[in-house]
Amino acid sequence: MAVPLFETENLEFSYNSRQSRPSLDNINIAIHKGVRAVVLGANGAGKSTLFYQLNGVLKPKKGVVKYNGKPIDYSQNSLYALRNEVCVAVQNPDEQIFSVTVEEDIAFGLFNTGVHREIIDKSIDDALFKVGMAGYRKKPVSQISKGQRKRVALAGAFAVNPKVLILDEPTAGLDPQTSCEVMEAIDQISITGTSVIISTHDVDLAYAWADEIYVLKNGKMIYSGEPGAFFSDKKSVISAELAIPHSFSVNSYICSMRGESETPYPRTDSQVICKILPSDAKVGKIRLIRTSKSVPDIGKIDERIGIYGFNTRRLFMDSGLPVDYNFNAVEHCIIEALNGNNVTLYCDECIADKIDSRIKSLSQFGKCPEVI
Amino acid sequence: MSEQQQMDTLVYGSRMVSWSPLGKLLFTITILIVNICTDSLFVPIVTFAIGIVMLFYSTVCKIPKFILLALLGAILIIVIGVIMVLITGNDESCVIWDDHILWLHICVTEISFNKAWLVFLRSIAGMTVMISFATSTPVPHLSQGLNQIHVPNEVTELITLIYRYAFLFLERMEIMWNAAQCRMGFNGFMNTMRTTATIAVGMFITSFDMASKAQIVLECRNYRGVFPVYNMPAKMSVKWILASVIIFAAIFVLGCYTSNTINMAKICGFI
Amino acid sequence: MSGSDLVNISTKNLSFSYKYSYTKSLNNITINIKNGVKTVILGSNGAGKSTLFFQLNGVIKPDIGSVKIDGVTLKYRRKDLKFARSKIYIVFQNPDEQIFGQTVEDDIAYSLRNIGMSKDLIAERVEDALFQTGLTEIREKSTLQLSYGQKKRLIIAGAIAMRPKVLIMDEPTAGLDPQMSLEVMEIIEYLHYNGTTIVMSTHDVNLAYAWADEINVLRKGELIYTGVPETFFSDLPAVYSSGMILPSIFVINKSICSMKGISEAPHPRTETQLFSKLASGPKGTLIIADIKNIENIPEGTHIGVFGVIAKKTVNDRKLKVDYCFNGFELCVGDCISGTNATLICDAGCIPLVEYKLSILRNMGSDIPYRTLGRGDA
Repeated sequence: MAVPLFETENLEFSYNSRQSRPSLDNINIAIHKGVRAVVLGANGAGKSTLFYQLNGVLKPKKGVVKYNGKPIDYSQNSLYALRNEVCVAVQNPDEQIFSVTVEEDIAFGLFNTGVHREIIDKSIDDALFKVGMAGYRKKPVSQISKGQRKRVALAGAFAVNPKVLILDEPTAGLDPQTSCEVMEAIDQISITGTSVIISTHDVDLAYAWADEIYVLKNGKMIYSGEPGAFFSDKKSVISAELAIPHSFSVNSYICSMRGESETPYPRTDSQVICKILPSDAKVGKIRLIRTSKSVPDIGKIDERIGIYGFNTRRLFMDSGLPVDYNFNAVEHCIIEALNGNNVTLYCDECIADKIDSRIKSLSQFGKCPEVI
Repeated sequence: MSEQQQMDTLVYGSRMVSWSPLGKLLFTITILIVNICTDSLFVPIVTFAIGIVMLFYSTVCKIPKFILLALLGAILIIVIGVIMVLITGNDESCVIWDDHILWLHICVTEISFNKAWLVFLRSIAGMTVMISFATSTPVPHLSQGLNQIHVPNEVTELITLIYRYAFLFLERMEIMWNAAQCRMGFNGFMNTMRTTATIAVGMFITSFDMASKAQIVLECRNYRGVFPVYNMPAKMSVKWILASVIIFAAIFVLGCYTSNTINMAKICGFI
Repeated sequence: MSGSDLVNISTKNLSFSYKYSYTKSLNNITINIKNGVKTVILGSNGAGKSTLFFQLNGVIKPDIGSVKIDGVTLKYRRKDLKFARSKIYIVFQNPDEQIFGQTVEDDIAYSLRNIGMSKDLIAERVEDALFQTGLTEIREKSTLQLSYGQKKRLIIAGAIAMRPKVLIMDEPTAGLDPQMSLEVMEIIEYLHYNGTTIVMSTHDVNLAYAWADEINVLRKGELIYTGVPETFFSDLPAVYSSGMILPSIFVINKSICSMKGISEAPHPRTETQLFSKLASGPKGTLIIADIKNIENIPEGTHIGVFGVIAKKTVNDRKLKVDYCFNGFELCVGDCISGTNATLICDAGCIPLVEYKLSILRNMGSDIPYRTLGRGDA
């Protein structure tokens, strides 16, 4: 078995000795490369504290943290090297942002990780585009809204292009569409090779996105592994002060009504719908088009159009082409197809295969739309 | 939006924001010095004109009300000073008005009258020039500019951070102020005092909180002890030095030639 | 005038912009907040939700337009403002910004003291507010030592003590974990049922859909929709242009209905309502137990709690409970699946529970229930 990206052994930590219980207590965790990991827990469960252990900001009182199989070396130089690869973005953007203008702040992180001056300009532009803040480069931070600051803070983390991106509550305080955009950006970043770990208490988000979840409660880890198994144990969900995701309870109800097995667990609305779709239903086709550098010709298509990926988004925005689903498009297109209509999904070349297999994996739930 | 935030908006929207902060500073100081080098009344009029032109150019002809109010307040203070200059003339020269009111010996002479005008015009002109500088140069730019003349890094970083956090405090304070209003915290004198004190304590706690978190986040962002700056403001070029020398020479010469050519006492018909 | 203690806020052509901002924060807003209607102001970040709230109790004065409270135009005199703010209370999103007292009790009494209420009356009100939010135990604790959830409950207690006619809540569940959100929503639901008009802003569409009678959608300072949620969510372009998405339950109901060829209406808004609509077959009985009748709870059913007071009682007596939050939804879920369940709640909540069951009945599932101590229903 491959060496885990992060591994902790009997990790224990408290901020000061007067605490009634340690902030982290005997945590054994192994997060593998490329796995979409979510740390789930109520407020004060120790999510952020755990993250600060992973990039060496806090040193455990007991136990070890291993990165790529080697225990973290807490000497200053190796910490710098570690943090070049492992980037943590904290929850509150006002704590994260140090500079007075947007571009200065993103450049701050880039300089710290030793990025060359020549490519900083492009990195800033790209990162701001990814979070939908392209026009705000020169703005002073004090003049943009809280939600926009959150996006700038995320852009700061995206820009340094780390090997591991750790995001503390990336969608907290963002409205639903912006959350979708941010999650889409995170999705693409993770598909293209960065390991992403996020923390959240939004169970719907965690359930839909995670490959693996790590559930913390009062500093102890009470579950690690595949999400379905955790949520099927109502008692432990409740004791972790969490809730049951919508898709999970809808599925479990419908299954008990029809007397079917709850597994495989559908995690998104589209998967739920796919599962309950009668076998004789007419399903539309998804035309998956890989966008390259040129503007796609959409002249004669009269289907609904979705776009996914930075490149595609940029192409469509620059050329002003009409789009029906410009956020969360994969989900929307699948639902549209399941309702019997044909749709077109434009997406970036580099993520197209992944999207393709994601759509095809619907076949485990029932009838899946054909991809052409 | 607080006045500081309005000022911030104004400064970052200025047409002169990308000019070299040190250059602007040198130019401003030069004008301020030449303003008081000669005692011609023409000089402050000219510098006032320069100041106003700069102010209008910098703010795209939109001077916010609060700046005008600040200006008005300053003028009031200046007027008081000017009156003091005016009434304390030496009664050996040409006297316009000499009187005793209560214990005050008022003596307005031709010289004191002219001097008062000079002081008044100089102050107004100086103020205008300084405001035009202040509305076109963000504080972080200025501190980074100072860094270019070898003021230590620590000082400039501190100024930048304070500037950033000042706005966080202001925002927070505004929200708490609104919250107190919603909870009727300003209902009567005692309540107002109590509420204000509580807000002050709250801000104090917030600042502690922020400082402790900033340390962790700086580490997360791989801070290495130096605060890098991406867009260094433009350095001071020779142009700025030339412009400053020329403006100094021109105004100084003008001042020397026109010294004593305007006699306000005569114009006003006192003598 | 009909009923002087019914506060009804309306605004007419309200416009407001912050100084030196080129865009209007609020543009020509005409809104009616009706007495007793659960109103949600829905909008993306920066749509003007908070700005609107500050107009309603006179903290911000509109540039154009007027605010009417109970049909009387708000004049911004000291006396009128005092009246407006004691009738209309705003609970902020971040509790840290609204806590002004050193201890829990102290903070609850803050507003009451500011309006010069008598000591005895303050003590009574504080006691009641502490009880309703389950904070009695920690009444003397310093506000600095509270957890985030406790702070949130504290500012709601501060609101309860004022007994406002209209309670405005700015993003009441933002930043709260699921259990705390449900707790806060249970308190809100209880307050509403007991006659407080509640207005809430949020961008959580699932929450808005589940709770609201009427939604007002703001987009960049303009009011683009007022009315029942379903109509708004059926208009996709409007939903997307206002930065929103469709609520999960709405999407699933729509798909299921089109598959089965049945009508989308009545629209279920919560999971249990959705199940009620789809369910056939035998239902379990819901046993509603008042906290005084805890001893008589039959063995062998799942037990849930509803409401803060019930939760506190259960905790104090160290009773074993299966669903210590979201009790109503989970118990009813059991009943729809055909097993019996017991719901423990405060006596005052029983009518609310009955009302919630009646909504399920409209969806198609008549869940039998009996209330302990009242004989069989």
